[in-house]
Amino acid sequence: MKKIRITEKPFATTAVVGSILIVIMLLANTYWAYIESVSSTNKAVSAVSAFYLESMADRRSKTITNLIENNFDYMEKAVSVIDDEKIENQEDLRAAIGRMKKLLSLNRFALVDEDNIVYTQYTTYTGGSRHPFLAQDTMSEKMMISTVYVYGSSKELCLAIPIDRYFMGKKFKACFVQININDIVDLLAFDDQESTNFALYSQNGGNISETELGPFIGKQNIIEATKGTVSEEEWNAFCNDFASEKGGTLNFTVDGVVETLCYEPVKDTGWELVVMIRESVIQYHIQEISDKSLQNNRVQIIFLLVIATLFSGTLFIMFRQVAKEKLDEEKENSKVLESMANTDSMTGVRNKHAYMETESQINSRIHAGTMEDIAVVACDINGLKYVNDTKGHAAGDQLIKEASSLICDVFKHGSVYRTGGDEFVVLLQGKGYDTRLETIEAFNQKIEENIKNNAAVVSIGYSTLMDGDEQIHDVFERADQMMYERKKELKRMGAKTREFTDEKNEKI
Amino acid sequence: MLGKYRIYIHKLMILVLTFAAAGACSGFSSGKTNDEGLGSVVDFVHELDDYVPQKKQYNFYFTYKIVHPWWDAVALGMEDAQKKYLDKGIEITYEYMAPKAASEEDQRKRLAAAEQGNYDVIGVDVADAKTITPVLDKMVDSGYKVMTFSSSDAEEGCKRIAYVGNTHNYQDGANLTEELCQKLGYKGKIAILVGSHGAPCHEERAQGAKDTIAKYENMEIVAVEYDMDSIENAYDLAKQILNEHPDVDGFVCCNMSNPVGTARAVTELDSNAVIVGMDHDHEALNYLKDGVIYCLGVQDCYSIGFDTLQVAVKIADGNVPGDLFPEKTNEITTIIYQEDAPAMLEVLYGDALQ
Repeated sequence: MKKIRITEKPFATTAVVGSILIVIMLLANTYWAYIESVSSTNKAVSAVSAFYLESMADRRSKTITNLIENNFDYMEKAVSVIDDEKIENQEDLRAAIGRMKKLLSLNRFALVDEDNIVYTQYTTYTGGSRHPFLAQDTMSEKMMISTVYVYGSSKELCLAIPIDRYFMGKKFKACFVQININDIVDLLAFDDQESTNFALYSQNGGNISETELGPFIGKQNIIEATKGTVSEEEWNAFCNDFASEKGGTLNFTVDGVVETLCYEPVKDTGWELVVMIRESVIQYHIQEISDKSLQNNRVQIIFLLVIATLFSGTLFIMFRQVAKEKLDEEKENSKVLESMANTDSMTGVRNKHAYMETESQINSRIHAGTMEDIAVVACDINGLKYVNDTKGHAAGDQLIKEASSLICDVFKHGSVYRTGGDEFVVLLQGKGYDTRLETIEAFNQKIEENIKNNAAVVSIGYSTLMDGDEQIHDVFERADQMMYERKKELKRMGAKTREFTDEKNEKI
Repeated sequence: MLGKYRIYIHKLMILVLTFAAAGACSGFSSGKTNDEGLGSVVDFVHELDDYVPQKKQYNFYFTYKIVHPWWDAVALGMEDAQKKYLDKGIEITYEYMAPKAASEEDQRKRLAAAEQGNYDVIGVDVADAKTITPVLDKMVDSGYKVMTFSSSDAEEGCKRIAYVGNTHNYQDGANLTEELCQKLGYKGKIAILVGSHGAPCHEERAQGAKDTIAKYENMEIVAVEYDMDSIENAYDLAKQILNEHPDVDGFVCCNMSNPVGTARAVTELDSNAVIVGMDHDHEALNYLKDGVIYCLGVQDCYSIGFDTLQVAVKIADGNVPGDLFPEKTNEITTIIYQEDAPAMLEVLYGDALQ
């Protein structure tokens, strides 16, 4: 199986592409959620709005009906209470009317005598022309409900009941209350909380409540205002519903905006209560919700993007750190291994393997003609075998270390190699080469002192690269020869040595 | 010429209002606010002036000429003032009574009955100046505090304390008739419908009309009839005139019922006669909107009612005309035309689009 090596570039590419893909997926997901949300809301609103409006219209219509019924009940009670009181004059009657008005919260509560004189808490007036329900001499209906258009443009709902009572010796034929339409609007608006537009209309579409039914219809006559916005058939049905006090709904489009209104008759008043919800308002709210949602998504995406970027960056830095550490570790291991391969474990100087590599490199340079001056010092420890045999290998090893230390101390500017058990080679180049004679002289003096002091004795011989040398070993051969000469010389000086046989050398 | 005259009338009204607002007639009408245009025709926004009543309770008696929507509008102004006094802790009770048909005899009886009541002030819309003025003088001599109000004052020299209402009935009649004359090019046959016999406001307007027509040699009055403030009578009389004078070119209607009945007749008989008339009857305004009536003189009834009650309180406290209120509180009349009708219907009845 082929293994792909992960490097920085593929990693970075993968991180970037991965991040972009994540972001795209997030965006796509958010957009899809947004579209789904708007679509679902639209469907829900369309389904619910009609039901909501019908419910709202019905509830408000009943609110007015309840108000009317309560007022009729209160009037009956008020008349009954006044009848039980001792009313002797107009002041008594006014006071009684005032008490009932306050007790039952009746708006403009009044009694009417047979001459159409109206008695209220503070005034008594001839009201034949002022109150339409008094136009007829006889009052046949039990309860009368009429809308009064008062001079000064205010409108009132007049509720009257016939009575047959005698006060102050006069026959009274009716009592009534007049409720300002504005009070009814306030009552309805209290329940509304400005969630819809509503208005009260007369049977021919005139706005009674003076409330605006949205920006298009406003306070206009609703029948006139909606003419032309729907088909003639729908509009005629709408008009007929108003005329015959029926409820229903009407949808029409103005400037591309769908308007929905729901109308419900208010029992016995001839009024239609119309509630309207403007689709553009719904759309506006939906849009607002969507915008907020989209804004949140944007923030979310930006946040995620930042997080992803930071994460990727951190990941990248961490990877680089790990890679660098691994690389350093590898280099270190390599160095250790290389060092272990080229270093003599006992003395710490380069070993024979290192010498062979160096020898190879030098040979190449010799062959190339680029080799500069070089001297080879061949070293051999005297008496190592004797020490091993007589004092043990530990003492022998100590002697090797001592000798190595001595060589390294003296040949500070040379490369020291342990090439055998008791053999060392020193390569002198540059400054080491230039000071070779002084160094060798100093070394030999030290060795001669060591003989006297019974310390480590090392025999050395040296030679330099000469014309005709084809390899460094040629130099080494000459140095080695010289070293054996020196060894003999040192023996004569009293240095211990080992007995060995060599084809080239005599046994010491 | 027509436009110039119309502008003159409007400017005159604005001037009157300006003086009133500036306090030239100090006391009784301070606090009024008048908007430009139709807002100044009838002022529904009033505040009581700075006068501090001396009592906490007042009881008044008002009698007017006839049960009629015009006086219902005056009543609303009174009720507005009564509520505002009540808000200040001053309780005002009053009676506001009239017969079903205009009658100076009925008014005399009502005043006689009122003398027996415990009223701080008795207010009278004079049904017949000639016969009622002596009655008022006698009441004043007897110690009663008497004022006149709304449409008709008593005769000059009457001892009544003050009058609040239209002080320019003659000029109203003249102005309306001038409009008609201009419309007809100062030639043609004119019929005049009046309200009640002896009612000063009606008679004065009729006189103003007659005098105006007399100025133009090509104009002729072919009929003068009294409808006794009945729309049905006005309708019958107008039909009668149209039948007797099919070539009649215009009608001057001096009260509120005249133009309604006349417009019905003109419409029914498909006449081209031009109608000018008085007041703000709902039906009349619709005829104005439809172009059947050429113009209407609209009086500020609401302000008449409001100011009447304020002046009554001051009179009850023993004040006399002077700094607190004038001897005659003038209220404005504004001539309106077809283009003004929808807005006027809306202002007065809130039903321009009903």
